Amino acid sequence: MNCEWVKDNAFLYAYDELPDDQRIEFEQHVNRCTGCAEEVKALKGLREVMSAAPMLEPSPSFLAESRMKLQEQLEIAQQERGWKRWFIDPFAMLKTMKFSPALAAVLLMVGFAGGAGVAYKLAHTDSGGNPSIAGGDKGPPQVVASIAGIREIQQDPNSNRVSIKYDTLQPQTAEGNLNDQRIQQLLLYAARNNVNTGVRLNSLDLLTQKPEDTKVREALEASLRYDTNPGVRLKAMEALAPYVKQDSTVRDVLLEALLHDNNPGVRSLALQTLEPVRADSAVRMELQYLADKDKDQAIKRQAQAMLATLPEID
Amino acid sequence: MPAGVLAMRFAVGDVSGNGSGETVVTRGQMAGQQTAGRIDDANLIREAQQGNHRAFEELIRQYDQAVLRLALHLTGSPDDAQDIYQEAFLKAYKSVGNFRFECSFYTWLYRIVTNLCLDHLRKKQVRKEDSAVVNDSDGEEFSLLDTVSDDRAAHNPERDLMRKELGRKIGKALTRLTERERMVFELKHYQGLKLRTIGEMLNTTEETAKNTLFRATQKLRTSLAEMRS
Repeated sequence: MNCEWVKDNAFLYAYDELPDDQRIEFEQHVNRCTGCAEEVKALKGLREVMSAAPMLEPSPSFLAESRMKLQEQLEIAQQERGWKRWFIDPFAMLKTMKFSPALAAVLLMVGFAGGAGVAYKLAHTDSGGNPSIAGGDKGPPQVVASIAGIREIQQDPNSNRVSIKYDTLQPQTAEGNLNDQRIQQLLLYAARNNVNTGVRLNSLDLLTQKPEDTKVREALEASLRYDTNPGVRLKAMEALAPYVKQDSTVRDVLLEALLHDNNPGVRSLALQTLEPVRADSAVRMELQYLADKDKDQAIKRQAQAMLATLPEID
Repeated sequence: MPAGVLAMRFAVGDVSGNGSGETVVTRGQMAGQQTAGRIDDANLIREAQQGNHRAFEELIRQYDQAVLRLALHLTGSPDDAQDIYQEAFLKAYKSVGNFRFECSFYTWLYRIVTNLCLDHLRKKQVRKEDSAVVNDSDGEEFSLLDTVSDDRAAHNPERDLMRKELGRKIGKALTRLTERERMVFELKHYQGLKLRTIGEMLNTTEETAKNTLFRATQKLRTSLAEMRS
């Protein structure tokens, strides 16, 4: 066990994270080596200082208030789940409603809409056998729509009359220019929430035309951090690149991608994108770490090359 | 981590055999009680998965105080802490059906909590200084310390002042960490979790959590040294 290893792992010792066999060897080395003993003392001192501002407990009244508010929200959530049970199990629902000829006229087909959620199609066959939604006493039959959920089913006693309350999902189209607030909101939503990668990429393409907007930049940062598709993360990074010098949050997000992204291409581009700010102390520290310890040899060499262009710090 | 919040609660009896009233819990009793505790939790989880919000409330009662403490310490704001608390447990309730017992419920819950905390830290752009004095929703100033318990018997104004100044310096040093560094440090130093658990909670490896902690401690040492000089 040499001094370099001891100093690199002293923080683990200070936080009781060294395995027992290593801890014993570590302590034997520190007992013999003044320099390493100083390092351990400094880290233990840090731990004491950081503990000087203690973890304060939430007061009993604050905790009670938080619990009460949560209880209200959970009751609402439970009620919402309650009516959705009709939605998930329509055959059990039919049984409990005592199957009748009127209900027999209602056919439920389960289908899945693109995106989140489950949709049902409510079909009623007219005399011609064509599927349609009855317009009731008023109006002609409507086009079959996707049903988001059934809220309530009631049957008039001693009659065949059934009343069903349901919510529908109607596909819609929004048109406008990029400055239109509604278009912007939809694009921001699509960038974060759509399961279709192509839609997310398209929305980022359009959003990048207004990256000076704070909300757009936040969406780009979120895409770089969280999107599961590396292509989307690369696109977000390209859009953020011009702001790396002036925006420290962009710099932090890029550093995070450099250190934690599981895609080597994303990491490599992050390193290149940070090149203009390589002299920044936080970036420099990370470059030093990568140059010494990164397991990816290409990243290691790239970091070493960038550091070589920087002047030495005294 | 305070033992009272996360320790398994179990009754102990006088097993000393000499009437001295000493209460000793044998390993067998502890193992048995822990197994019973895990079975109870599993039953509560299954009930909660059926939509029983009372079972869910009982399940989270073991953890909610620690979650609120974590949120309060990270955000420095009672309103924000309460928002994180509400959102975390509501999310957990709505997605408890997806819990497959592949890890502990505690780890699964804290994944949700830490993600929300990280989101909050990012939104707040933690390069600004934390303060013990914040504004409430009416814009009035009040001290964070009013929402917390202070059990110390002796009240020393000079010591309080020094403590506040040190707290301010520590807060400032913490703002120089990235959000992940802050999160890892918070969970390790203030919550006392093992790096392996922290890695699981943050959906990463133990090795990455170690490296993040290393960077955090290096930055804190530098920041505090600068403040001293």
